[in-house]
Amino acid sequence: MTPATAAMVYLLITLGAVGTFLLLPRSGKRMAGAGAVFGTLGLLGLFLLLLIEIADIEETGIYFAVFATIAIASAARVVTHSKPVYSALYFVGVVLAVSAMLVLLHAEFLAIALIIIYAGAILVTYVFVIMLAQKGPSAIYDQSSREPALAVLAGFLLAAAVAGHAGNLPDRPRAEEMTALAFVNQASAQLDSAGNQAEPQMGNTEAIGWSVMTKYVVALELAGLLLLIAMVGAIALSRKQVPSEVAQEPRRPVGEVGRTAEPF
Amino acid sequence: MDIVTGYIIVGAILFGLGLVGFLSRRNMIVMFLSTEVMFQGVVVNAVAFARLHQNLDGQAYGLFLLAIAAVEAGLALGLVVLLYRVRGTLDANAWSVMGE
Repeated sequence: MTPATAAMVYLLITLGAVGTFLLLPRSGKRMAGAGAVFGTLGLLGLFLLLLIEIADIEETGIYFAVFATIAIASAARVVTHSKPVYSALYFVGVVLAVSAMLVLLHAEFLAIALIIIYAGAILVTYVFVIMLAQKGPSAIYDQSSREPALAVLAGFLLAAAVAGHAGNLPDRPRAEEMTALAFVNQASAQLDSAGNQAEPQMGNTEAIGWSVMTKYVVALELAGLLLLIAMVGAIALSRKQVPSEVAQEPRRPVGEVGRTAEPF
Repeated sequence: MDIVTGYIIVGAILFGLGLVGFLSRRNMIVMFLSTEVMFQGVVVNAVAFARLHQNLDGQAYGLFLLAIAAVEAGLALGLVVLLYRVRGTLDANAWSVMGE
């Protein structure tokens, strides 16, 4: 990464930080319009930078630039939207764009698993809890933030520190000279240092399966144990009887919601 | 710019945005959604490094990250529902005084 590119990255991250700061919900006068302008400028700059820097190295570079822009724009809306349901829906955009980027990195299995687990399971749980716990159309605590300036400073300083040094990569065989199949084959050949004869051509899913079931089999068992513990913990939490500190609302008849009462 | 550099920059920005959301938002559900955004940034980074080193370790690591994310979501949402039943609000500031 040349110094000019690094300076450009710092400039764009600063633009994005200012935009995010202005877009965060706050009580009083909110300058969301100016924030949207700053954020759009930063995103557009990042898109052009990625397009110029990567499109001539790799033919899929334009797709990477598009999906990276979508992911970052959606993530900014997840963080800054004042309605939690919309935050959850924008998070679906983040997941889809990230899994598209994983496909571009030849991680097809992980991309599909990401969509199934995140968009299919985790997001539905979040939306359930939002629907369960959200009272009015817009609560007071969604209209303001704690310490937005410090939070933006911490988050974007970290991002700038990592992004500024992202160019110092160790020397390795350049990945863009290999086709997808060669990439997977080399990876699967590395698995077989124990002397096992592998299939000469192996898909990404099969190669990941080999890797997880041989090299990382202990970690796999531990992950299963962790999921079991979390399941027991979640059930114990939800069965726990707690004294409520607020007066209970009278129960409404089912048909009333939506006609006389605001549904959501 | 190497292609992996681009992915690392995108992953870092996703992680930073999630951190901003976790630190600044008051709604507990949105705070945990922000941690999921941070997880996405980490997955992008892990797979980009798998590409850099030409092996599958990063992708296997991404798979375990997914398991951890599922664990975190299940426990966090159970906890949020429990806290909501006590105080009747999702505001994290309602819990700013500990030890009562």
